[in-house]
Amino acid sequence: MSFINREWTPENADEMHKEDWFAIFFSVVSYIALMVGAAMSALLIPVGFVILIIGILSALIMYWIIDPKLRSISAEYEKNEKDYLLQLEEIQKWKKNK
Amino acid sequence: MITFQFLDWLWLTLFVLLMVFFGFYFYKFGKRSQADYFLANRGLPWWLPASSVYATHTATDTPIWVAGVVYKYGFAGLWYSFYSAWCAISAYVSTRIFRRSLAYSQAEWQTLRFGELGAELLRGWLAGWQVFLNMFILGWVGIAMGKVCAYLFGWDLYVGLLIFTAIGAVYVYTSGYWGVVMADFQQGVIALLVIIIVSVYGVLAAGGPTAIISKLDRYNSTCEWKIPDIKSSQVDAIVRIKNAETGEEISRSESFLIKNTKNESLFKKAENSAKESVMNEQDDKKEDQILFPNNNSILLSDHGYNIVWSKNNNRKFVDVEYSLDNGNSWVLITKNQLEGQGWRLSPMSFTGMYEGQFPIAWFITMMIIALIGGFGMGTAIDWYPEAQRIQSAKSVRDAAYSIWAGTALVLVRNSIWAAAIMGFFVINPHLGQGGDYEMAWYRVGFEYLPVGMVGFLFAGIIAIHLSTVSTHLNLGAMYATRDFYHHYINPEASEEKLVSIGRKSTILILIGSFIFGLIIGEEITAWLIFALWIMSAGVWLPNILQVIWWRFNSWGFLSAWIANLGLSWLVVWILPRFGVIPELPDYLQFWALIILNAMIYLPVTFLTKPEKIDHLVAYYVMSRPIGFWGPVRKEAIRQGLIKSSDSK
Repeated sequence: MSFINREWTPENADEMHKEDWFAIFFSVVSYIALMVGAAMSALLIPVGFVILIIGILSALIMYWIIDPKLRSISAEYEKNEKDYLLQLEEIQKWKKNK
Repeated sequence: MITFQFLDWLWLTLFVLLMVFFGFYFYKFGKRSQADYFLANRGLPWWLPASSVYATHTATDTPIWVAGVVYKYGFAGLWYSFYSAWCAISAYVSTRIFRRSLAYSQAEWQTLRFGELGAELLRGWLAGWQVFLNMFILGWVGIAMGKVCAYLFGWDLYVGLLIFTAIGAVYVYTSGYWGVVMADFQQGVIALLVIIIVSVYGVLAAGGPTAIISKLDRYNSTCEWKIPDIKSSQVDAIVRIKNAETGEEISRSESFLIKNTKNESLFKKAENSAKESVMNEQDDKKEDQILFPNNNSILLSDHGYNIVWSKNNNRKFVDVEYSLDNGNSWVLITKNQLEGQGWRLSPMSFTGMYEGQFPIAWFITMMIIALIGGFGMGTAIDWYPEAQRIQSAKSVRDAAYSIWAGTALVLVRNSIWAAAIMGFFVINPHLGQGGDYEMAWYRVGFEYLPVGMVGFLFAGIIAIHLSTVSTHLNLGAMYATRDFYHHYINPEASEEKLVSIGRKSTILILIGSFIFGLIIGEEITAWLIFALWIMSAGVWLPNILQVIWWRFNSWGFLSAWIANLGLSWLVVWILPRFGVIPELPDYLQFWALIILNAMIYLPVTFLTKPEKIDHLVAYYVMSRPIGFWGPVRKEAIRQGLIKSSDSK
């Protein structure tokens, strides 16, 4: 099994794993690097372009890590969404329940 | 004032017509149901809510806010706008949890997470708070639009506020969230184009990127000084700079006059003199000399200026002080002011660990607030409109990407603005009044764009304004309809009735926003800092605890909200005003409120019962929150509602 899991069962995908934490890490790095890199690149400061590229690469790595897990969570959840919506509307009608 | 040409009017008319068209085109979708009117029936692909996140957070006040902090702090000022980075973590934590809950609003989510009376009280409170807050936000973005129109056309502030907010209300009223999100997409495209074009012109007007960098490197040092409001008709004053490490005086100005008068020509004359002092090439022999004010200067009481001195390349910081009694006593203007102007290009230009206008302690606090806040719901004021976008996405995956991508675009947009503000600073390095330099980006657009493009810029500004206005009109109406009318007043209401109430609520929110806008007036930045950081400080941690800790209950959360209202007024205004505590810097206010509030809500939580386990299990199975949910998870496994991942 590889260090980054890219095949998820529905039960497994619902839990928090190291892949989520890696995605969060690259997400934060990406935001910082995109903001700083874009500002400096706009004034053609050379290091700004390097930072901007780090931002874009971080975003791609984040996507590569988290996408299989998100797909699995979404597919499983959508099967139950209709039932959950009915439950929600029942809770919404609070007077009836009192 | 600006005069529009034919082409300008053409751009403007086409754009407004396009907006109204959206309203009528999506009318048939919006009227189908409550879910359509407020959530586009939860069916949108990620890029539509993403463009809405971006467009909504590009408001007329945003370039004012970004210009204010970037002009003052250089690229380091971008960290002030980094608060939206809570989405970096939220996209994979709270966004996922909230989308799975299916709650229309954050108020509704309270009744899913908590139970019984406490949950109902929280729902009512949050719904009321949000109806108020959306009117308030509409008021402040509306007055920003009024400010732009006052600058452009010389209109009174209320005229711009009324006209352009009302145009947004037309398509929100008819097609609800469908109109909002579809219009946001094209408004986002127009706004981004305008931002890029104007910013390129701004950079070129200053001579291009290379010229900006070299000028910043050559310019003399400056320090903003808001002159105190003196009581007498005039007074002699001096300023001095001191070595920040040793306290030794480096240089003292000649004596100058402060007058208690409203003569604006005197103000402009002094400002221009400051401008010349900053821009003059430095003569090495004159190192460390105070160039402005000098004995020819007459400064006006209660006005903002820049003190200018010839920079010393061997020194990083100076302290700046003034005296009104010929040097017998000194008052600190700022500590650790950075030398020269080259520091503006570094995003890490701080004024020490705790000292000065932008200390590292404040930077760290902002990073914690922004990033760790992503584990919670409601830790940032933007969560509430984002929550609506999260629910409108067609899947959990689409919700996560919409929040992430929309915010990434917001951050990059701020950086594009920042480059233009740098150009503006190089041309106008003398402005010491926030109200003047906050308009920097707008001034760049209207002063440097060619004839015929001004209308395009104004259409872009309207796009920026309408995207924010439409969101908050629809969001406020959703809380009023879903959380008040449907939940408490008429639970059996038909879908047709609910859409009709949604429309009526839109009008009520619109009227409320006009009233708030006129109350807020011109002090935009001060209101924004208050709203974004301080007002929510005490509930920042409870907003996270409600998501990650099963034992945190409705009474704990409710007590946190109530305590925060009192404590924030006490810590920020009342106690400092009466001298009970000193006026604390922003970062200390935040941590003080966090600790004081915890001393109330933690005991309340432990002294009251946890939520019923069956209620928590139902919530857990549906939302799968992360954090400290051990006992609830165990019970859910015991009831056979979820499988243990260990058992596979």
